[in-house]
Amino acid sequence: ESFMATMVAGHPPVFRWVKMLDEAFVPAVQEELAGTGHSMNFTGLYGGAIAGVGEELEAVEAGLAEIGICQSLFDPAKLAVQNVTYYTPFVSDNPRIVSTVMDDLHESDPRMRQAYTDNGVVYLGAPLALDDYLLMTNFPVDSLDDLEGRKIGAPGAAINWLSGTGAVGVSGNLTTYYNEIKAGVFDGVLVFASAALPSKLHEVAPHVTRAGLGAQFAGAICVNDDWWEGLPQEVKDALEAGADAASEWYIDALESAVDTAMTTMADQGATIKDASQEMRTSWAEGMDNVAQTWAKDLDALGKPGSEMLDAYMDAMRDAGAEPLRNWDEE
Amino acid sequence: MPRPETHGPALLRWLDKLTLGANVCGSVMIFCLTFLIGLDVAGRNLLGAPISGVPELVSLSIVAIVFLQVPQAFRSGRLTRSEAVLSGIAHRAPRVAAALESLFDLLGAIVVGAIVYATWPIFLRAWQRSEFVGAIGDFTAPTWPVKIMILIGGTLLVLQLLARILRRHLEEAK
Amino acid sequence: MTPFDIGLIALGGMGALVILGLYVPVALILCSFLGMWAIKGTPILAASMLGLAANDAIASYFFGVIPLFVLMGFLVSESGLGRDAFDVANALFRRVRGGLGVGTVGANAIFAAITGISIASAAIFTKIAVPQMRRHGYTGRFAVGVVAGSSVLGMLIPPSLLLILYGLLAEQSIGDLFLAGVGPGLLLAVLFALGVVGMAVFTPRFVGDLEEAEVEPLSRRDLLGKSLPILGLIGVVLGGIYLGFFTPVEAGAIGAIGALVIGSIKRTLSLGALWRVLVETGLVTAAVCFLIIAAQMYSRMLAFSGVPAEFGALAAEADLGRLGLILLYVAITIVLGMILDSSSIMLILVPLMLPIIQPMGIDLVWFGIVTVIAVEIGLLTPPFGISVYVIKSALAEEDSDLTLWDIFLGAAPFALLMLAALALVILVPGISLGLLGR
Ligand code: NA
Ligand code: NA
Repeated sequence: ESFMATMVAGHPPVFRWVKMLDEAFVPAVQEELAGTGHSMNFTGLYGGAIAGVGEELEAVEAGLAEIGICQSLFDPAKLAVQNVTYYTPFVSDNPRIVSTVMDDLHESDPRMRQAYTDNGVVYLGAPLALDDYLLMTNFPVDSLDDLEGRKIGAPGAAINWLSGTGAVGVSGNLTTYYNEIKAGVFDGVLVFASAALPSKLHEVAPHVTRAGLGAQFAGAICVNDDWWEGLPQEVKDALEAGADAASEWYIDALESAVDTAMTTMADQGATIKDASQEMRTSWAEGMDNVAQTWAKDLDALGKPGSEMLDAYMDAMRDAGAEPLRNWDEE
Repeated sequence: MPRPETHGPALLRWLDKLTLGANVCGSVMIFCLTFLIGLDVAGRNLLGAPISGVPELVSLSIVAIVFLQVPQAFRSGRLTRSEAVLSGIAHRAPRVAAALESLFDLLGAIVVGAIVYATWPIFLRAWQRSEFVGAIGDFTAPTWPVKIMILIGGTLLVLQLLARILRRHLEEAK
Repeated sequence: MTPFDIGLIALGGMGALVILGLYVPVALILCSFLGMWAIKGTPILAASMLGLAANDAIASYFFGVIPLFVLMGFLVSESGLGRDAFDVANALFRRVRGGLGVGTVGANAIFAAITGISIASAAIFTKIAVPQMRRHGYTGRFAVGVVAGSSVLGMLIPPSLLLILYGLLAEQSIGDLFLAGVGPGLLLAVLFALGVVGMAVFTPRFVGDLEEAEVEPLSRRDLLGKSLPILGLIGVVLGGIYLGFFTPVEAGAIGAIGALVIGSIKRTLSLGALWRVLVETGLVTAAVCFLIIAAQMYSRMLAFSGVPAEFGALAAEADLGRLGLILLYVAITIVLGMILDSSSIMLILVPLMLPIIQPMGIDLVWFGIVTVIAVEIGLLTPPFGISVYVIKSALAEEDSDLTLWDIFLGAAPFALLMLAALALVILVPGISLGLLGR
């Protein structure tokens, strides 16, 4: 039998999580399908061609596309519990661990998959982990005191990480950081290295501080559930194998991009420093426990906020992470 | 630009009043947005205290503003069109032109109706699942009010398109 | 019938319906709906696509500030600052044939440094310049043509939302792109000014009877009194952007508040006038944004049909060498510019082209400037030319005799001048890259 699948992503193909579809996902699925008597014809519609960033889930739910990059970071109301990492900073700076733990939680815990089911899609895999968030500023940072009164741009929920630092958290997004720092609207931003280099942020914010804010989960490949139900088992298996291949490809590519980013930014004159243990501790201790606020808000909406917060923190500790603050135990 | 006439059956007058009301709401929202951004800029620079959620509010309100204002924009002849061919036809065969105009209004009512039809489940989901924009802990705003405004504006536009057919008919009957 | 065929039919259908006189947004939505229905085989999915696009397509900060830029323009106009600016421009260029046209171009170039969107410039100068130019003997067609043409400066001279979009797609420094836009922007402004003077001298019938447009010179005192407030406003907006007090996106709101303050101080802005301006802003915003929503639906339908991807692949596969490839790319961009909006074209073409041109060693900043100029020609070309549509919906009551085709015709010479500027930018990379020292 022959199948058609439209793949949707709001970002253009220069982004790693879009590139992984054509580079790893599709070839792996085709390889798995070879000899099964089934075939699948993929069309990728990316970069806002049919849906913008954060609209992919809706497009897959409506059936406009069969497969999509579902962005939990940009769709925080629909994929609420998936945003658990953004409410628990200082847990792990290792994207591979975050990726594995989140994937396992999705596989093993139906409460995690419920958010997808509620929205008419199925979680397929390939978590989009983002590397450790850095503080990049146009002034040197030695302690938290240096942040007093500075305007720091941060995306979505990450703005909460600035509470208690004395910095003025301003909601922003990657697309305009460069200009806003250059013009002085921001004095710095919270951003991850693999995105900072392509945006050349180190040109305008050359002081890079690694404070261990943490690697994050931003989304995954999802599939329209009616379409999924109608697929033969061999095809489902092939798609899952494809997602595993994409996941592997993605995390390898991410890690090498982080290495390149760090070396290149340093070569081009950026100062890269690890924050002192003292600064990290006082940052983490000084924050509001926004994880609890978030979890209780979700509980009130009938979503398993507190339960998934506990499950995630436990799984991370089991995986060897050493959280600077145990958000679930307060 | 043709000036909207104010006479006609009571039903049409009520429709026009509602359309104007929606238009007023949209204009007030533009005014508020201007000052919201102004206050955000001032707060950020002068007090080190930006207003949370301004980008989210701006992106939500633009959709509401457009749908609340578009019925009045249509009523006052602002929707873009090229009248050259149509007025040529009207010169030679006024009845054909009138029929064509009515067909166009009907087509408009159908496609805008399709938008309203497809927005209804989007509104229901936003309402039942308490969908929001922003980030918990910083700023959140529910999205359902905007969906309602899309429904209101879209419905008014459909009615105005149909009313235009009715008005044309009444005009001819006179 | 393949989706590709359906896409082609939808293209032809849109053009035909627009010419027949169907409302342009309705024509776009109708073709999107029928096209999606034909491609996906169900009207329900087609309606879902319309619904999602209506809800999402303009729900962003960038589109959110359109009404603010428009409001700023109308307040500038209503508080008398616009009239003052043109009195000054007319006095400065009074010895030049077509001086007021040159003034329009110059004023647009200055405004381009404040605004990031061409449609804001178009809306502003329709209110300010068209009535003034007609009062001074210019033909309506030429007056709207100058405004349409010079509005494109808004997205070439930084700040520019289109350059920001390109920078994101091509991973190029937005700062570099902005610098690279300055040279071509000024070149285009000069070409437009020379074009205005040339047309005034050689095609007086097109430009109008300027003999009667004798203007009294302004006294030094009047000159200062009329130019200081507007220069002050521009200074506040530009200074605020470049000192980092606000973003180019926020500038619309600050400009509007500034114009409001100046109007109140000059006592030229009554409460009634303020309300009128707000309503007017709403109607123009609605007309423009509804059009953008419809255009996005259309672009999404076309993406499903695969037509734009096929066009791109055509350029990709043709083995033409550097210059040939660029020329083919420009040609495709201009053709798409007739039927799609600027951001849709860039979203479709740039990702397709990058993998082909990168190995050829083509400078991506230069390529971005070429792309933006080519895309912006589409603002002026029928049947879908958004600057022209904005001007049509922003025309004052007394100018509403001007038809859409008057504006397209008036803008045509400026589209040709843009082609000339584009050719120069392609042949002499220094125009764009000079400021970057490349
Ligand atoms: Na500009
Ligand atoms: Na065009």
